[in-house]
Amino acid sequence: MFGWAGTILRVNLSEGTIQKEALNRNDAKLYLGGRGLATKIMIDEVDPQVDPLSPENKLIFMTGPLTGTMAASPGRYMVISKAPLTGTIGCANSGGHFGPELKFAGYDGIIFEGKAEKPVYLWINDDEVELRSAEHLWGKDVFETTDQVLEETAEDARVACIGPAGEKGVLFATVMNDKNRAAGRTGMGAVMGSKNLKAIVVRGTKSVEVADPEKFKEVSTDARRKLKEHPVTGEGLPTYGTGVLVNILNEMGALPTRNWRDGGIFEKAEDISGEALTEKYLVRNKGCFGCSIGCGRLTKIPEGKFKSFGEGPEYEAEWSYGAACGVGDLAAICKANFLCNELGLDPITMGATIACAMEMYEKGILTKEEVGRELNFGDADAIVELTRMTGLREGFGDELALGSYRLAEKYGHPELSMSVKKQEMPAYDARGVQGMGLSYATSNRGGCHVRGYMTSVEVLGIPEKLDPLVTDEKAGWLKIFQDLTAVVDSTGICLFTTFAIGLPEVANMLRAAVGWTTSDEEILQIGERIWNLERLFNLRAGFTKADDTLPPRLMEEPLPSGPAKGKVNELEVMLKEYYQVRGWNEEGVPTEEKMAELSLR
Amino acid sequence: MKVKFFAGIRDCAGVKEDTVQFSGTVGELLSYLSNKYGDAFRKAVLTGDQVSDRVIILVNGRNIVHLAGIDTVLGEEDEVSIFPVVAGG
Repeated sequence: MFGWAGTILRVNLSEGTIQKEALNRNDAKLYLGGRGLATKIMIDEVDPQVDPLSPENKLIFMTGPLTGTMAASPGRYMVISKAPLTGTIGCANSGGHFGPELKFAGYDGIIFEGKAEKPVYLWINDDEVELRSAEHLWGKDVFETTDQVLEETAEDARVACIGPAGEKGVLFATVMNDKNRAAGRTGMGAVMGSKNLKAIVVRGTKSVEVADPEKFKEVSTDARRKLKEHPVTGEGLPTYGTGVLVNILNEMGALPTRNWRDGGIFEKAEDISGEALTEKYLVRNKGCFGCSIGCGRLTKIPEGKFKSFGEGPEYEAEWSYGAACGVGDLAAICKANFLCNELGLDPITMGATIACAMEMYEKGILTKEEVGRELNFGDADAIVELTRMTGLREGFGDELALGSYRLAEKYGHPELSMSVKKQEMPAYDARGVQGMGLSYATSNRGGCHVRGYMTSVEVLGIPEKLDPLVTDEKAGWLKIFQDLTAVVDSTGICLFTTFAIGLPEVANMLRAAVGWTTSDEEILQIGERIWNLERLFNLRAGFTKADDTLPPRLMEEPLPSGPAKGKVNELEVMLKEYYQVRGWNEEGVPTEEKMAELSLR
Repeated sequence: MKVKFFAGIRDCAGVKEDTVQFSGTVGELLSYLSNKYGDAFRKAVLTGDQVSDRVIILVNGRNIVHLAGIDTVLGEEDEVSIFPVVAGG
């Protein structure tokens, strides 16, 4: 096959068996790879009402047809399962080198079934695949685990693993690869831990064949040139990282502050910004496999009580530990972020859950005795210590390990959780950026920004400039973003490429790689098919229109200051229009006509 | 009036922010600042006499695209923020 490797590994952990299966070519044509193809496998093989942490759930690692090629930023793979944090289809995307290495070993993906009796890791050395004991690795953090398994296998192999958080069932545990890259959201690391699967080690020496090498080189070079010339992918992201967004969101009054309680202007935004990180702590930038952008940060805190070295933080972590917790100490934010990498935690949910706990504490809902310390907004020591305690499920960390919704609900105040479908929303206040509210409410994996990044059109003006304070046109644009993102994720290239290139360039690379003559429109329709398939999974899991909503704070408490002063999110207006644009009925269910149109019947 | 500079624009200006005695339009402010900070700044914010498509200019947090663009009239109490086109997430 071209683009795809053509083989999927099926590993039954209960029985200790490993099978090599031919890729279903028809499904690959309809769903590409990544989250598309893996969601198809999930819906075919797993009851959507399954307990996410039971052996009956499956865990799928999946690359796309462009992963490991010379396409623009082709380093991505995805982890898909039913999510323990949300109960929705779970899905998390990561870069680094692990995904390409899996392709080089000859596999598009791995399906894990069942549960191992004792901890194991999977060692893939090209055609040789075996399960090995990981009992000696259990309890080790991500860095220790990675170093140890490389010593036991091959020093040039690539590793994806969980840390203590995944072992202990923290509901927002990540799968980490190449030490510092995270398949971060929805708790895929907890599913991996529930299966007693500590790590996957892969070494590959093959190459990925493409259908038309000359054409592929031409269109990939064109895409890479556009990335290099664009101010975002050629200058902003390499120089300042994603944290360059802190100041602009703050100036627009949409940087959610103190658990979204105090509006969208954080008085210490400058201190936690990408500019500050670059000036004070950046060692150098770093890219994933084959990436010309290099948005990653190698960061060093040279002295003081938070002295440390690691990667990140990204914009979202600068916000979650910073503005959301009222903390302006960038060294503490970096340290907390490094701990997330080492223990295997999603820093968005982690920081946002601490922020929720801080508000509960200040309201008197949580006491010092329950928390084991004071927990006021602005406490830099608390974000570091509570992250450590959560990763290890020590003391109050055991309660934080369930995320903000379950924490707030336990104490009778679920409204204080800034989450959608029990997953914490990221760093864009939907009262000041209206379309992001619709994006959060309709995301198939709960509160999330990378399923339909309306910030691009509402804040950044890419590719068009929409007014963030109105609801006009938002539903239609969101559908385009959601469908295109599903395509991009499923091909195995990085979503950040879409700041500089669009559907035509992505489609050109895909066609040349796999040998299709499919039109751009047909390729975008694959994204729509994937989006609807994810929706079907969630509907069968028990989700309804009532779950397509936002925390009451965003719809009832107006922003107190800034350009969006007085605004709440007008979700109802946009949601009605969105269902129509999607071809769904008034209950948010895809119609028979839409299902037939997308070959989902 | 307070003018704030961010990311690469900050490098061109050499300062994080400036307080200027100014009344006029956004276009006139950019010309004024370009004369003050030099060619690198001018090249970053202006294309001829138009606002460069590589910058985002906010007046009191509102993108001038949703105001009157380069003709947006500024008062002494206004706050102007100038960014390169940035993104992330």
